[in-house]
Amino acid sequence: MARTLGNDTPGTAGHSARRAFETFGPYLTISLLLIAWELASRLELVIAFLLPPLSVVIVRIATDFASGQLPMDIAITLYRTLVAFALAAIVGVSIGILISRNATVRWFFDPLISIGLPMPKIALLPVFMLWFGLFDLSKILMVAFSASFQIIIATWAATQSIEKELIWSAQSLGASRREILREVILPAAMPQILTGLQIALPICLIVVLITEMIMGGQGLGDSMLRSARYVDSPGVFAGIVEIGIVGFCVIRAMEVIRRRLLVWHQETREETTV
Amino acid sequence: MTSRTPPAETPSSGGISIRSVCHEYRPARGRPVLALDNIDLEINDREFVAILGPSGCGKSTLLYLLGGFMPLQQGGISVGGRDITGPGPDRGIVFQNFALFPWKTVRQNILYGLEKQRLPKDERERTTRHFIDMVHLTGFEDSYPSQLSGGMKQRVAIARTLAINPDTLLMDEPFGALDAQTRSLMQEELLAIWNRSPTTVVFVTHDVREAVLLADRVVVMTARPGRVKKIIDTRFEGGMNAEIAKSRPFLDRVDEIWDLVREEAIVAGSAGAG
Repeated sequence: MARTLGNDTPGTAGHSARRAFETFGPYLTISLLLIAWELASRLELVIAFLLPPLSVVIVRIATDFASGQLPMDIAITLYRTLVAFALAAIVGVSIGILISRNATVRWFFDPLISIGLPMPKIALLPVFMLWFGLFDLSKILMVAFSASFQIIIATWAATQSIEKELIWSAQSLGASRREILREVILPAAMPQILTGLQIALPICLIVVLITEMIMGGQGLGDSMLRSARYVDSPGVFAGIVEIGIVGFCVIRAMEVIRRRLLVWHQETREETTV
Repeated sequence: MTSRTPPAETPSSGGISIRSVCHEYRPARGRPVLALDNIDLEINDREFVAILGPSGCGKSTLLYLLGGFMPLQQGGISVGGRDITGPGPDRGIVFQNFALFPWKTVRQNILYGLEKQRLPKDERERTTRHFIDMVHLTGFEDSYPSQLSGGMKQRVAIARTLAINPDTLLMDEPFGALDAQTRSLMQEELLAIWNRSPTTVVFVTHDVREAVLLADRVVVMTARPGRVKKIIDTRFEGGMNAEIAKSRPFLDRVDEIWDLVREEAIVAGSAGAG
């Protein structure tokens, strides 16, 4: 997109400046926001209680980290997120594949998904609490349930868009029905399935935080809500920064996994011999 | 006739017999469309037959029925004396859009069919290397299809199909997606491969010159519903070579078939407009 900005040739000062901008540009926005935050409370444009200075928040994060409380909260939240995500991925991809291959399964799930997808799944949290208690099990099931719809839809759509010639080629090369599922349909659907998973992962993190805020039981969401209850404003803002950092890391990790799995895909290779 | 007599040492696989085949497409909405109407065609063992006709005449449908990819509705098809019941490695197919497995390298694509035949590993490797050399892709073994040009992709697809040594080769406009120069080179290569080891070939195309150049006989089909309009012998004294492809008799034959196809294309065009 920066290509449209100027017409300088490679090697000029303008070119390297643009390169630097492309590399560090994304961080610039965040840096400006953080500086503005610090200045706003240092210059007493806002009351420190409503927006404590960034430096205070950073000190607070460091203290929580040193005390062991923060690493523990992060570990608990990540544990819930990743277990729920794995569960949603396994169940979602399986149901998505079954829907695409079996008319009865499709007939059964199609209306359920149509109703469930746009519904705020978190509204069922009281039901999950009644059925599965107040601890990890109900949280993880709630989160997996919330995220699985996206994965089912993505998997189903992915298998529908596989070109029939690909399957026919495998058939005529001697592959059985089972081999075609594992060796053709799954890899061919992988880019779109991964896109579904990439949407589902932040959903998992968000829903984990909400369940922690509502039900307690440690984790970043619980600790942040407790800070709010004790009118501890640096604690609340520390929570926001921590959640931002954890979310960023989780999404980046997912992008790395995608690139690893899709080495063959056009998107990960720019050069061709055409 | 003279130069294309098959060598005696390879065992006969038998030809193809198509008897009173009709095929109707039944879309979910709208009226059913009759694609093939009472096709009768006998193809000899190791004969190269081109099927020519305006688009929508059902020539690809006929090829897919031969491949066993779609259930036969009416009539009978036998290949090598056996009625076909589904896809199988006795009939290799090459598609216009290549249908390579994009997550496999050139080598892995060609290996796939050989793995299904449960050949010993060193034999698989040897065969793969042989066919990579044959289609001039040495040095590209570990490239992914997304890194190759159209002509190279189609050479991989041809190698992948030839590697499993099918008795019958089905080709669905294999050079239709290539530019004129590449197409011409690929035609020469296919002819050279076929002359070295003739198999029964059914070659669907809408390129009249290509059909006359490659085939022993050209089957001209009518506009929808597809019927056999005329079968023309296109063998030339002394076999096919670059000189003959420029000769008067060759060009006359192309013209003659062009007129037949043109009549049908006009019918198809007016039916489409009306």
